[in-house]
Amino acid sequence: MTTRDIVFVAVGVVTALSALLSVTTKHVVHAALWLLVSLGSLAGAYLVLGQELVGLVQLLVYVGAIVVLVLFALMLTRAPIGPHAEIDTPWWQRAAGAVLGAATTALLASLLLPLLSGATVDLDAPAATTPRIAQAVFGTWVWPFELLSVLLLVALVGAFAVSRLVLHREDPAADGAVRRAEGVRR
Amino acid sequence: MNLVLAPWLEVVLRALAVLVAFLVLPLLVGQTEHKVMAHMQGRLGPMYAGGFHGWAQLVADGVKFVQKEDITPARADRQVFRLAPFVALIPYLVALAVIPLSPKVVGATVDASVVLVLAVIGVGIIGTLMAGWASANKYSLLGAMRAAAQLVSYELPMVLAVASVALAAGTLSLVGIGNAWNPWWLLWQLPGAVVFLVSALAELQRPPFDMPLADSEIVFGAFTEYTGLRFAFFLLAEYAGIVVMSLLFAVLFLGGWHGPFEPWVGWVWTLLKGFLVAVVVIWLRVSWPRMREDQLQRLAWVWLVPMALFQLAITAVGVVVFPR
Amino acid sequence: MGDGILPGLVKGLGTTARSLTRRTHTAEYPDVAPALPPRSRGVIALTEENCTSCMLCARECPDWCIYIDSHKEELPPTTPGGRARQRNVLDRFAIDFSLCMYCGICIEACPFDALHWSPEFEYAETDIRDLLHEKDRLGAWMATVPPPPALDPGSVDPAEVTAAAKPPRGAAGAGPRAGSAPRAGAGAPGRTRGDGPAARPTRVRPESPAGSDRAAGSLQGASAAAPERPAADRAVDATKPMPALGDTGSPAAEGDSTQVLPEVTPDEEGRE
Repeated sequence: MTTRDIVFVAVGVVTALSALLSVTTKHVVHAALWLLVSLGSLAGAYLVLGQELVGLVQLLVYVGAIVVLVLFALMLTRAPIGPHAEIDTPWWQRAAGAVLGAATTALLASLLLPLLSGATVDLDAPAATTPRIAQAVFGTWVWPFELLSVLLLVALVGAFAVSRLVLHREDPAADGAVRRAEGVRR
Repeated sequence: MNLVLAPWLEVVLRALAVLVAFLVLPLLVGQTEHKVMAHMQGRLGPMYAGGFHGWAQLVADGVKFVQKEDITPARADRQVFRLAPFVALIPYLVALAVIPLSPKVVGATVDASVVLVLAVIGVGIIGTLMAGWASANKYSLLGAMRAAAQLVSYELPMVLAVASVALAAGTLSLVGIGNAWNPWWLLWQLPGAVVFLVSALAELQRPPFDMPLADSEIVFGAFTEYTGLRFAFFLLAEYAGIVVMSLLFAVLFLGGWHGPFEPWVGWVWTLLKGFLVAVVVIWLRVSWPRMREDQLQRLAWVWLVPMALFQLAITAVGVVVFPR
Repeated sequence: MGDGILPGLVKGLGTTARSLTRRTHTAEYPDVAPALPPRSRGVIALTEENCTSCMLCARECPDWCIYIDSHKEELPPTTPGGRARQRNVLDRFAIDFSLCMYCGICIEACPFDALHWSPEFEYAETDIRDLLHEKDRLGAWMATVPPPPALDPGSVDPAEVTAAAKPPRGAAGAGPRAGSAPRAGAGAPGRTRGDGPAARPTRVRPESPAGSDRAAGSLQGASAAAPERPAADRAVDATKPMPALGDTGSPAAEGDSTQVLPEVTPDEEGRE
């Protein structure tokens, strides 16, 4: 049991607990904030495991951007302070979520199977991990990576198209309102 | 610097030094803002606190803030409301710890320190969001929304500008980038520097990008309900942000410790350049009016992002054509 | 991002940078006394001897912040067989500076130059009631009243100079003018208007430079209810009981001063 083990276990416990809290709390915004803690401590776990870049990118992208967007969207919907019955999830949704979560956990846990045969990674050897990750992402896995970026681009264009479609729908009253608004803008 | 200390003592000393810098440098910037802004407006600024030209004004302000009552609104989300100032403040402390003043004078050496700084600065906005939402105040919420929208828009050009420098230096370490700097970068990385400065101002919510605070329309944005020490923490976070961004700009784009007598006084050069950038930040605040929300977004997406991409392209061409 | 934004931004930077290098405009007031322009309106000073209790100032005051109390006194006849004269004696003159809006109308309205602007402005109080300045305090401000500005070259002589140069009425210098010699002496500074501080009535104490008749009047004591009153037309004709002003006042103002008495009871009015 080294210091690293202790820290890792601590960070892992924080991650798991905050994840649990984020799905059980009745406060919508608290859920997002617990998600934030969970993602942040996950970045901590990456750091403990010596994957500095992954951890920092996790922090930059998930904590700094994605959760901010989630919070932003939540606040746009007039999230109430305190628990609220109307936005509580029904039981079947919870059950479906539990099943999905369990399935994902099982899937990810299967990655740990090689550990049973005694595979180890030396974390103490000083290694510049950044170039290795870069080589992995832009070498071995470049096609999935590019595919993902295309997917994101499609989603972006789709969102843009949807927002434009709403603006010009064939509702005479709304259309008139839009035209008037545009006239005012011009 | 050949002193050999016990590892734990060194850690404690470094942490202490970072903490002192974290407490002193923002006050220095704040006092500079007081005086420079005053003289730019034909005023004298604080003149009494401390005796000589009001040098202790911010100390006096701090004492005042400590004495004030710590109020939490009745309908606020108490825990989130009380936690928010620390969430806003701590990221800048972490960021300051990894910004090198010279290759030797650095709080903590991290391999990918540029990414770390960018990541924790992005976390700082969560404090504002939490404050705005937990205050149960419409002005606060509006301010938080504006802050979030602004941050999400300006994070991208900022990361791209920093990526350009990292690409040019071939490393993600701030020390490495500073060491790789040479005067040609002033020209080569000029568009990136402009993009970085503008988006840094926007991330700090400094005028002309102070739409989230806009005291003439939404009181004081997300901080409307705050009093006493918690409010002071938000202010400290703002000025610590200026320090972090100025030093970062100095290291990334102005060569940090490069200058005469570099081996001995490299850290002085970094501090001096950072201070100059901070003065520019103050200067812009005094000179320019606030931008409207739509103008803000337009500037980010129509001008800064393409400009940052253009910078990335010319950096890539430069790296390929003139390999080091 | 239209045209002209960038030049505008640069111009803004230039403006602030320029004012950074220039002197500041801050008045470091408690440390450095302000250089007030001449005729600054700081506080209103009172020359008590000039006041006839005519109440013009109190009436013109837009916010009614001037309080005047007075009574009448009988002056013994200056010549044997003459008639006794009446004059107003000021009991109270107070300005409430917590109400005053510094319009200066009272000073404009005063026909006898009893009120003056003083540039002193440091009389703030912690209790608002202390802002009610009584006549001794108002009189003390007279020491701070600056001399009036010099007349423009070639302008006509001031009214008091022309009045003093006029030959006395009734060529022989009859009974009413008998007391004019000492009064002319008292009024002499008025003729050197514009020459310097001496030209200003700067006396604070009412009795110090007073004419002989004034001193006699005050010695005689109060006799508000005069047994026999002179007719109004004769009072207009008579010499004024204003020692400090000499012969300078206009006849109309003199008439006013006797007609607008503050404490005229209805029966007295009826007798007039």
